[in-house]
Amino acid sequence: MNRIGGRSNTGEGGEDPDRFTVDDNGDLRRSAIKQVASGRFGVTSHYLVNADEIQIKVAQGAKPGEGGQLPGNKVYPWVAKVRGTTAGVGLISPPPHHDIYSIEDLAQLIHDLKHSNPDARISVKLVSGTGVGTIAAGVAKGRADGIVISGYDGGTGAAAKTSIKHTGLPWEIGLADAHQTLVMNGLRNRIKLETDGKMMTGRDLVVATLLGAEEYALSTAPLVVLGCVMMRVCHIDTCPVGIATQNPELRKKFAGDPEHVVNFMTFIAEEMRELMAELGFTKIDDMIGRADLLEQREDVIGEKAKQLDLRSLLYRPNPENQSAHFGTSEQEHLVGESLDTTMLMDSCLPAIENKTPLKRSYPVWSINRAVGTVIGSMITKRYGAEGLPEDTLDLTFTGSAGQSFGAFVPKGMTLRLVGDSNDYIGKGLSGGKIYVHPHEDAPLEPEKNIIVGNTSLYGATSGEAYISGIAGERFCVRNSGAKVVVEGVGDHALEYMTGGTVVVLGDTGKNYAAGMSGGVSYVYNPRASFEAHCNRELVELDQLEQHDADELKTLITAHVEHTKSPIGNRILANWDEEKTHFVKVIPTDYRNMLKAIDTSIKEGISEEEAVMAAFDESKRAKAVVK
Amino acid sequence: MGKATGFMEIERQVPKKRDPRDRVQDWQDIHVTPPKSDIEQQASRCMDCGVPFCQAGTNVPGSDEIGCPVYNLIPEWNDLVYHGRWKDALERLHKTNNFPEFTGKVCPAPCEGSCTVAIDDDAVTIKSIEWQIVENGFKEGWIKAKPPRKRTGKRVAVIGSGPAGLAAAAQLNKVGHTVVVYEKEDRVGGLLTYGIPDVKLPYETVMRRVRILEEEGITFKTNVNIGETISWEQLNNDYSAVILCTGAQVPRGVSDVPGHDAKGVHFAMDFLTQNTKSLLDSKHEDGQYISAAGKNVIVIGGGDTGVDCITTSVRHGAKSIAQFDINKIKGETRNDGNPWPLFPLTFAKEDGHKEAEAVYGEDPRAYQWLTTRFVTDDDGVLVGLEAVQAETVFENGQKLRKPITGSEKVWDADLVLLAIGFTGPERELLEQMGVKTTNRGTVDAEYGQYNTSVPSVYAAGDNRRGQSLVVWAIHEGREAAREVDRYLMGSTILV
Repeated sequence: MNRIGGRSNTGEGGEDPDRFTVDDNGDLRRSAIKQVASGRFGVTSHYLVNADEIQIKVAQGAKPGEGGQLPGNKVYPWVAKVRGTTAGVGLISPPPHHDIYSIEDLAQLIHDLKHSNPDARISVKLVSGTGVGTIAAGVAKGRADGIVISGYDGGTGAAAKTSIKHTGLPWEIGLADAHQTLVMNGLRNRIKLETDGKMMTGRDLVVATLLGAEEYALSTAPLVVLGCVMMRVCHIDTCPVGIATQNPELRKKFAGDPEHVVNFMTFIAEEMRELMAELGFTKIDDMIGRADLLEQREDVIGEKAKQLDLRSLLYRPNPENQSAHFGTSEQEHLVGESLDTTMLMDSCLPAIENKTPLKRSYPVWSINRAVGTVIGSMITKRYGAEGLPEDTLDLTFTGSAGQSFGAFVPKGMTLRLVGDSNDYIGKGLSGGKIYVHPHEDAPLEPEKNIIVGNTSLYGATSGEAYISGIAGERFCVRNSGAKVVVEGVGDHALEYMTGGTVVVLGDTGKNYAAGMSGGVSYVYNPRASFEAHCNRELVELDQLEQHDADELKTLITAHVEHTKSPIGNRILANWDEEKTHFVKVIPTDYRNMLKAIDTSIKEGISEEEAVMAAFDESKRAKAVVK
Repeated sequence: MGKATGFMEIERQVPKKRDPRDRVQDWQDIHVTPPKSDIEQQASRCMDCGVPFCQAGTNVPGSDEIGCPVYNLIPEWNDLVYHGRWKDALERLHKTNNFPEFTGKVCPAPCEGSCTVAIDDDAVTIKSIEWQIVENGFKEGWIKAKPPRKRTGKRVAVIGSGPAGLAAAAQLNKVGHTVVVYEKEDRVGGLLTYGIPDVKLPYETVMRRVRILEEEGITFKTNVNIGETISWEQLNNDYSAVILCTGAQVPRGVSDVPGHDAKGVHFAMDFLTQNTKSLLDSKHEDGQYISAAGKNVIVIGGGDTGVDCITTSVRHGAKSIAQFDINKIKGETRNDGNPWPLFPLTFAKEDGHKEAEAVYGEDPRAYQWLTTRFVTDDDGVLVGLEAVQAETVFENGQKLRKPITGSEKVWDADLVLLAIGFTGPERELLEQMGVKTTNRGTVDAEYGQYNTSVPSVYAAGDNRRGQSLVVWAIHEGREAAREVDRYLMGSTILV
């Protein structure tokens, strides 16, 4: 797609960084569009800076509202690596984004992602549905650069049978709704409108243009071009044409070629051009939103179909002014007004360039959102996934931080927050470190007071965070690698977590560790009150073994060192007794995989082979017998 | 579905037939019943495709079939067989195919060519699974006559008792019409009986089904040549509707080749028919057949009928056998113009070829040979033929055979069998009835409608379609029955 100026989409499963560099023949294999979905699989700073467009998938046209599922037998070791999860352990994309509960939250995520890569466009994928126009207007006001209206017709071969038919709505309805609403509210020219959902021909694209789209996504047809025979077995890892599988034996059967897609797209463009010529258009811009050129067919069969009245679908608002019908201007993202750009940049840029350690302090207020994110993106752009040596930029902020403090910060950045923080602190943490503790003059007992807001460290992939105080709800959801110490959490903590270590030195809210499929957690439980709060569907509660206790002690020691945590201090002071008050939370499947890998390594197999062997074994165990 | 990973774990295994060296010694069936467990295991290779091409039954213009023409519900009964539910599988199979025991033995299986596993692996053994489902059904006694509960009082005549006629009759009888099938030969079955050698499809296999059809109420009248024995007028008076299933029996000849009237040049179908008739009548004791014994046999034509001639000649004890194919030898893999899921035009060794190889030590096929003259002795008896190798070229849209100079050769031949296709149906009856024909000589009746230019007269099978497969004949017979039922009753439940 990069060859022909198109854009492919990673989907929600991350992307192998191997694709981020240009091949010898000049091909760039990376997908221009990086998707950010609720699972945040592999959403690191490195991933985001390698995007031309970042797409927030709010939902998909096929099986809307269901979220994605990847069965364990398809999570091959290299898939797990890209996704930041454990091989052989099934993955669930939560139906909602845990950091989006309102349109303001969405605007915040758009803001965060824009700051994580100021050069990329941010688009939002919505599902064709009743009232999608209102949502689209909100998204446009939330400063998205693009909106995708996704129809029900396409969709994955892995969808449940009950979700394939009679689910969702055609893109035509949602597109017309969104386009008309945006035009009528004077918002249409701020954004680009894209549509998808089983678009197969140039004619489909022409109809989409007339209904208001200027961009189009195709997938079923190009897949067929590459050899897909619509087996509908994408989810069971038996794709006989080597497309929807990572099984090396089946991959050998893949017969597709990039040339095939190039040819196909050329034909699509050619058909579109022919139809445009028939309609008398020379430019797409003149065609967008010309719904008045579409007519309802009279020759339909079927009593119900005959009663359809498509007039409101084919309505064209503001007919005199064609320039109100397509994207003509840029959204104002205010990246230039962020704390990073106005205050941090001057001193940090030379430090980044020369890899010289820098220690600075700044005040921070709640209006400063996504502090550190732009600086972080600069480090990643310059040094890739490697980042800088630990603690190169050691920045201290005093005050009450705004939302998304330290979002996506990479290795080499250490952010110390003296004070407190709003929601989303450490979102997508990508190797950086975040320390939070109250000001030394504050008369508060940290372990009894909330210090950071909701949805902290959502989708963190690596790095460390030490928080002296209690966190709000949905703490460390979808963490896949960060090491975190905190002194209490609200409800739904660690939901869908797939990796990393989380230590809680205080009480937890209910539904702890729901859907957690990887990583471990140690919870301080002196009153034996934790068991009732833990969701034990996927996890088990264990006693600590010696190596667990050692790891825990190291983390608490670091916590005390960085935050002067009183409760941490107390626990360490009486360690031999206190360590018995900790309970270890570990997902069953994850533990079994670790055990299998461990056994293999002890038998002298390399780690890579051990992972593969453990994966094969779990696959065999899960294989349905007759 | 079958086993999800079956195609990755299990290799294709077609049931073994009798050893060619042994089987050419007799006229017994060449098939051997495989163990049930083997068939169940092979069925597990089916992938239950989201889009099962095997059952698509489509004709791509200018090409061969994709998938099963009778839309057999292949993934469904594969799954049932895999799970050991043979009776359910039989019911599912009978829904779409009246005579799986015929197609299970003699169909070239376009389904397997379109099998998704066959994109770059070996197809599921659909044909032999079908065959075993029905054979097992007969063995278990599950296949019994099911006469209709009510009769409509309508009488329908079916002319011809080949696969199209039998299928039409079975379907019409099922919905209560009174059906009489007329056959001009002395035995029922058309090409199933007299076209296909008994060793490939035994007469008893045909009769086993015909007896059930008779029990269900269908009347078969043999030795009746409509137009002679019974006049068209009388037939028209006696029946509410007539279906023509007379086949495409006029063979293509070689009248442009000098010496074509030599003694020893025969049409393949005469050779095959007389052989089977004499075999069934008297185990060849009456001598009423063209014998290949001790002769140098040359079969002209590379198709299935040609192979049947080899099968028969080997058993007669021919001195030598050669089969001329005008085309080049086919490749082991598909060529660019013949992608999956089209019927694969690849090299295959048929049963007859294997038998000839076993007896004479080599594959009997000779490629690109064009016969230029039949050589006779003074009595007009064939002694050989002159032939030249030829390139097939296309010029101005015309297919031309260009001789390669210097490749001329004289072949010893005492018996030449012409198996180069058929030109269409026999014309006498059609003319007597006043049925309109196409410029190809076939009956003019639209596919899917089957009504001819004469009211209440329908046509199905080779006489409408031109020479084709047994499975297409069954398909057309079923569909024509549907249209006749609709015509007689105003609506139909047949599919």
